[in-house]
Amino acid sequence: MTMQVRLVLGWALVGIPLLYGLWETIAKAKNLF
Amino acid sequence: MASFLDRERSIAGPGFNRWLIPPAALAIHLCIGQAYATSVYKNGLVKNFDTGNTQIGIVFSIAIVMLGLSAAVAGTWVERVGPRKSMFTAACFWSVGFLVGALGIATKQLWLLYLGYGFIGGIGLGIGYISPVSTLIKWFPDRPGMATGLAIMGFGGGALIASPLSQQLMSWYDPDYNPSVASSVPSGSAVAMLFVSLGIIYFIVMMYGVFNIKVPPEGWRPEGFDPAALKARPLVTTNNVSAGNAIKTAQFYFLWLVLFCNVTAGIGILEQASPMIQDFFRSDGGVSSVTVAAAGGFVGILSLANMGGRFIWSSTSDYIGRKPMYMIYLGVGILAYLGLATIGHNATWLFVLLAMLIISFYGGGFSTVPAYLRDLFGTFQVGAIHGRLLTAWSAAGIAGPLIINGFLDAKGTPGKLTVDAYRPALYTMIAILAVGFIANLLIRPVASRYWEKTGADVPEGTTPTERETV
Repeated sequence: MTMQVRLVLGWALVGIPLLYGLWETIAKAKNLF
Repeated sequence: MASFLDRERSIAGPGFNRWLIPPAALAIHLCIGQAYATSVYKNGLVKNFDTGNTQIGIVFSIAIVMLGLSAAVAGTWVERVGPRKSMFTAACFWSVGFLVGALGIATKQLWLLYLGYGFIGGIGLGIGYISPVSTLIKWFPDRPGMATGLAIMGFGGGALIASPLSQQLMSWYDPDYNPSVASSVPSGSAVAMLFVSLGIIYFIVMMYGVFNIKVPPEGWRPEGFDPAALKARPLVTTNNVSAGNAIKTAQFYFLWLVLFCNVTAGIGILEQASPMIQDFFRSDGGVSSVTVAAAGGFVGILSLANMGGRFIWSSTSDYIGRKPMYMIYLGVGILAYLGLATIGHNATWLFVLLAMLIISFYGGGFSTVPAYLRDLFGTFQVGAIHGRLLTAWSAAGIAGPLIINGFLDAKGTPGKLTVDAYRPALYTMIAILAVGFIANLLIRPVASRYWEKTGADVPEGTTPTERETV
C-alpha cells in the first residue's frame, strides 16, 4: 500500500466519524436559534 | 505480538510521512473522548440501578480521578515502552472497562460498573490520553502546539461522535426508546448492549492507532527545520529535564496551578450549561425564555467551542508563544466571566458568545499544555511530565462542580434559580482565574542544574540520570 493511500485511509477513518459527530451536533445546536 | 509492540519495532523507516501520525493519535483520543458523553445514558443507568444521579455520577468521577492518577503513575512507563505498547494497553483497559461495566449493568451490580467503566476504564483513559502526545511532539518539533492540539481536539470530538452514536445504538437495542423525546429512557439491557458494542468498536478503532503509530528515528528532523531557531524564543529550551527532576522545579507547580485554575473555571460552566442558560433568562414569574431544546442546543455549541478551541488556540500558541497564550486564556477568561456575571443576562447571543469563549479557552488550556511542557522541560520525558501534570485535571474535576453546586445549593432549588444565584460562583471563578494568571506570570526558564547531562541528544527510552539538585 502506497503512502498516499495510507494517508487517505487514515484520515478518512478519523475524519468521517468526526464529520458525523459535527453534523449531529450542529443540527442539535440549531435549536438554540 | 509482544515484540511487535516494542519501541524498537515502531521506528519509522525512510520515506515515512509524518502526517500519518495525527490520525493514529486521533484514533485513540476520539475513542477515549467518549468519557464526556456519559449523559446520554445516565437516566437509563439511574432507572436500571434504581438509584440517584449522585451514585451514577460517581462512575464518571472515578474515571476522571483514575485518568489523572494512571497518567501520573504510568507516565514514565509510557515513555520507556513507547507509544505502540502503551496505546495497546490503553485499548485493552478501555475496552475491558466497557465489558465489565456491561456485566455490572446486566446483573444490576453497581460496584461492577464502578470497577469496570470507572476504575479499569479510567486507567485506559489516562494511559491513552498521554500515549501519543510525546510522539507527536517529536514528529512535529516545528509545530508542537498544532500537533498536540489536533490529537487532544479528538478527545473533545470523541464526545461529539459518541453521543449520537450511543443514542442510535440504544434505539436499536430498545425499540421503546426514542432519543428525540426528552422523557424517553433507555432500558438497562439496551445500555448494557451499548457498552458491549462500544467496547468492541473502540478496541478495533484503537488498533488502527496501535498498528500505525511510529516513532521518528534518532536525530530525525523535518526538512528545513533548524533546532537552533528554537533557542531564540523566550522560555523555549533545547535541553532536557527528566520527569523526576521536573517535579522538583517551581515551574511544574506553577503550571499545575495554571491548568487547575483554567480547568476549574471551565468546568464551572460545562457542569451547569443546560440549566444555567435557562436560569439566566428566567423572568420573575419563574418561566425561562430559553426552552429545554434550546438549552440542549447550547450544550452542543459549547461542545463545538471546546473542540475548536483545542485545535485553534493550541496552533496559535506556536506563533505567539505558550506563556502569552495562557495569559489570554486566563486574562481574557476573567473579562469573559465578568461579562457573564454583569451583562450576560441582557441578551442570549451575548451569553452564548461569552460562554463559547470561556469553553474554547478551557479546551485550549488542555491542548497547549504539552507544548508548554516541551518548551520548559524538553522532549526527553515530556509524556511522563504531562501525565503527572494531569492530576490537576482530576483535582479540578472535583473542585469545579463542588464550587458551582455549593453556591447554587445555598441560593435555592434547581428550576427556580435566576442570574443572581450564579453571581457568587462566577466571581469565585474570576478569583480562581486571577490566581492562575499570576502563576503563569511567575513561570521562568528552568535552571540549568535540572538539565540532563547529555543535553538534547538523550536517547529515547533510557533511564534518566537524575542530577543532584541544590
